[in-house]
Amino acid sequence: MKALQVSRVTKSYGSTEVLRGVSLSLEPGERVALMGPSGSGKSTLLNCIGGIDRPDTGTIEISGVALGGLDEDGLCRVRRETVSTVFQFFHLLPTLSVRENVEFPLQLQGLSVKERDARVDGLIEEVGLSHRASAMPHELSGGEMQRVAIARALAIEPRLILADEPTGNLDSATGEAILDLLASLSERHGIAMLVVTHSPQVTRICRRTLEMRDGLLLGQEE
Amino acid sequence: MSVPSPSSRPASIGGVLWSRLIWRHWKREPALTATLAGILALGVAVFLAVRLANKAAVSGFGLFTESISGESDLLLRPRSGFFETSVLRDLREISGKRPVDFFPVLELSGAVQTGAEKPDGDLLRFVGVDLVAIGNAIGQSEEAGEGVGFSAEEGEPGLLGVTDACLVGEAFARARGVAKDDRLRVWINDRVADLRIAGILPDPANRPAIPENLVLMDLPALQKVSGETGRISRIEIRFPEGKAEGGIRAAASEGLAAWAQERGHLLETPEDRKASVTRMSAAFRLNLTILSGLALLVGIYLIMQAMEAAVTKRRGEIAILRSLGVTPDQIRRTWLTEAAVLGLVGGVLGIVLGRLLAEGLVGGIAATVNTLYYETTTDAVRLHPGEAAFSLVFGLIASLVAGWIPAREAALTPPSQALRQGAQGGGLVWLRRWPVGLVLFAAAVGVARLPALTFGEGTNFPLGGYLAALLAVLGASVFLGGLFPPFARLIGWGRGEAMRRYAASRLRAVGGRHRLTAAGLSVAIGMSAAMAILVASFEKTLTSWIGQLLKADLYVAAPGSASVANGNRLAEVDWRALLSLPGIDGADTLQRHAVTYEGRELLIGGAAYHDDPSRHLQLLWIEAPAVIGPDALETGGAWVSEPFARRYAKRSGDRLTLPTPSGPREVTIEGVYADYGNEAGTVLVSRRLAEEWFDDRSVSNLAIYTSPGVDPEAVLESIRGRFPALVTRTNEKLREESIRIFHQTFAVTYALEAIAVVIAVAGLGLALAGLLLERRNELATLRALGATRRDIARAAMWEGLGIALAGLAGGLAVSFFLGWILIGVINPQSFGWTLRYAVPWGMFVFLSGVTLATAALVAWTVGYRNANLKSDREE
Ligand SMILES: Nc1ncnc2c1ncn2[C@@H]1O[C@H](COP(=O)(O)OP(=O)(O)O)[C@@H](O)[C@H]1O
Ligand SMILES: [Mg+2]
Repeated sequence: MKALQVSRVTKSYGSTEVLRGVSLSLEPGERVALMGPSGSGKSTLLNCIGGIDRPDTGTIEISGVALGGLDEDGLCRVRRETVSTVFQFFHLLPTLSVRENVEFPLQLQGLSVKERDARVDGLIEEVGLSHRASAMPHELSGGEMQRVAIARALAIEPRLILADEPTGNLDSATGEAILDLLASLSERHGIAMLVVTHSPQVTRICRRTLEMRDGLLLGQEE
Repeated sequence: MSVPSPSSRPASIGGVLWSRLIWRHWKREPALTATLAGILALGVAVFLAVRLANKAAVSGFGLFTESISGESDLLLRPRSGFFETSVLRDLREISGKRPVDFFPVLELSGAVQTGAEKPDGDLLRFVGVDLVAIGNAIGQSEEAGEGVGFSAEEGEPGLLGVTDACLVGEAFARARGVAKDDRLRVWINDRVADLRIAGILPDPANRPAIPENLVLMDLPALQKVSGETGRISRIEIRFPEGKAEGGIRAAASEGLAAWAQERGHLLETPEDRKASVTRMSAAFRLNLTILSGLALLVGIYLIMQAMEAAVTKRRGEIAILRSLGVTPDQIRRTWLTEAAVLGLVGGVLGIVLGRLLAEGLVGGIAATVNTLYYETTTDAVRLHPGEAAFSLVFGLIASLVAGWIPAREAALTPPSQALRQGAQGGGLVWLRRWPVGLVLFAAAVGVARLPALTFGEGTNFPLGGYLAALLAVLGASVFLGGLFPPFARLIGWGRGEAMRRYAASRLRAVGGRHRLTAAGLSVAIGMSAAMAILVASFEKTLTSWIGQLLKADLYVAAPGSASVANGNRLAEVDWRALLSLPGIDGADTLQRHAVTYEGRELLIGGAAYHDDPSRHLQLLWIEAPAVIGPDALETGGAWVSEPFARRYAKRSGDRLTLPTPSGPREVTIEGVYADYGNEAGTVLVSRRLAEEWFDDRSVSNLAIYTSPGVDPEAVLESIRGRFPALVTRTNEKLREESIRIFHQTFAVTYALEAIAVVIAVAGLGLALAGLLLERRNELATLRALGATRRDIARAAMWEGLGIALAGLAGGLAVSFFLGWILIGVINPQSFGWTLRYAVPWGMFVFLSGVTLATAALVAWTVGYRNANLKSDREE
């Protein structure tokens, strides 16, 4: 079973066709980079895969579950349990501490305190922020914030991580470190990953690179 | 293109800021802007509505005199009792050839017999006017007759010289289902008369409607029917327009004043008269005063909340502008412009909303007024242009002040600090310092001890009390900011539920909006709960007072006796006949007379008690006389009621000079008793003395003791058989009735307070809506993490509950203090009652439950509706 299977997805906003029949698939644990100029529809595709948006036509399956057949609550469950997103602007909850941010999705899942504690401590350790566990987001640097976001994304033990320009808001050294972190974690936990990025180093961590132009993947038949 | 002309030069920086920043923001975020304008509108509306409703109610109390002869210029009244008709001759003599019109008026109270359903009858006011004189005046001046809206053609022919004809207003006809030419069986003084309705007067335009209980008759006819032959209650004096200008008018007034002074009569302008007649109960007036204050404060907090939102939502932008070199002053001006425009838009909306609210309120007030005082109609709610303008100015000033403080703060914040993500923004600095609340509170306790301000004529104003109340309310609203952290901890208790913890974290990071919303709630709840304490204390005191006072088996009164304004009597033959019915052991009797004492109405009561030493009226003593017993008054002393003693600072041993128709009479005060039944003040003397002073042997009330072994119900039946027009009640029935009237006084209070609480909760809903709109990116994150719409609604509910809890706690805490101020300071200083402090715990539980439940429901709904807000973030 594929980790992700996207077939002939289209999406328009008004009269602009943003996605014009995109198909792609990811094996479990596979890392794929998605590149392309600004405005080509990368974020829109990720939103559809993450269930934040719905495609006009076409199907998306995550670990064999078709999103099209799910209602709003079903999509929430998918986001809560199988797919995580890492954003360019981190989007930490500003009033929760580092620890609480990482713990939050587990709490949504309804895990017991013991299970949560075990997992959260481990993750914060893994992203190297043990010493800042009780800090508030506004006290962190950009790189630190993105590490927290990555720990949060990993917390639910997803099958798939969607990362939308995770390094776009960071200097290149920090960005590289973040990409390495993502790669090693995905490797260790066996999580498939679709990374949107402009950073050329991404090829270092991804086996495949897809190129998006005007709502279509290059090399894909229309 | 072409050479730049002066008109195409770049707009000033202010103009640019205005059009680029504020206008575009509004266009981009219509929902948020509408929410802010909505909050402002609520604030202005609650303020205006209570004012309009008050105004309508109060203008309904305006004396009807005004309308009888159009606008009279002066009123002449005897200090007590009546004038004889001959006084008119004297008046003509002293005014000589000067053009002055005199309109004699006889005003009596009476009742209409409406059958058994209304045991109390309906109190009527019979007004007899000299239709010939008014007819002449109408001939001279068209406008004169507009007052009651009757013209010579309508009123005159049917009434003149016919003794059984009367006119009533439309409201009277509607309420009693009568039409022209129907007959009315009425009771005037101690007589029964059968009147014909000769016409229905249409309500005049642009004036209060004709009172629902007014019956207009020709003066001689009313004198004849009532047996008050040759008597006049007052004389209205008019200087005909165009004939009596300046000097002549002044000379005439002077002559009249000198004459009135010499005779010991009262010469007043209608305004003086209105001010001196306290028909509206002091409790009821206090009620309305406090409610206006409540509306004002709730309104201010709502407006501050809206402006705080308008500024904080753009803190980041202000920082960017600062970093681009825009001066703090320019920023302030831009934001003040926004505050002014928002204030105007919200104000106009608020005027519309307030007008609608007032309509609903005034019905409630009218019902209370009618039950209590049988007093006329309330004026229709009209949007007085003055009131509308006042509310608009209020909204505008409050918006500017409320906008200025956060704008100033925002403009002065170093950009580096404001630009940082998540930095704690906004809010009024002083609101963040909860110890300031304690200081205000301490000040309140100090100020409460100030003595009352005393104006002339026995009017006290408890300035210290009101000031203390204000300080305490402000103190509570500041102090409750300190309650957020503990409540946040309470709500985030344990590490259980995700959304509850998230909401708790939001409450920990409390902003100005949370504080202001909670402050508005605390004002509404604090003042409502304090009024509830006052009512409960009043009720407790009243119940034990009634228990002590009402010891007789049966109570008989002339119709309409529930009203203080009642002047109905039982003639001596009647009450003597009544007391000789079988089964009656004896009675306490009372005759009441209204006189004017130091410019205010005073009741003189003549009492005679049942001669059984163990069974007679037992007063509740504030200062007990040396001798208590049925004959204690017979030695010629006087007992005065507590309101009288407080108002005129009198005590046992002091001497009083009372105005009576037979001249001034001097008595010594021998005791002071509690009287929660009226605050006009009463002086009790023996009935023998009163009969002599007033040359009147009728009585107003009888308390009857039945012979041992006789069933009071049987005696009651026999009295009803003989005297169907009288109001006869058993002890138990009268107790019930008293408590019912008491509750009716405060019914409208509860309605108005409910509105204040509802508006405060609505303010909470709007505040949350605004917060969620600002946090839409965060909502998007929550959704991306898998939170459902219901999860987000739940988070909003917990946050709303936290705000409501803080408001409730602050409000209830301050209510105990406010209750104490009302009972221990304001009440004794302004109307002289000693009340026992009682806390209505059941009511508090109910208020808390309802507030929290509605706040939770409103917050959940707001959360659910806004959960799917599109984020504006760019990825
Ligand atoms: N909510 C939306 N409404 C209208 N147009 C949108 C919306 N979201 C994206 N677009 C448009 O879709 C196109 C693709 O956007 P996006 O997927 O964000 O591109 P990318 O992430 O590749 O830069 C852009 O032209 C953008 O303007
Ligand atoms: Mg993008």
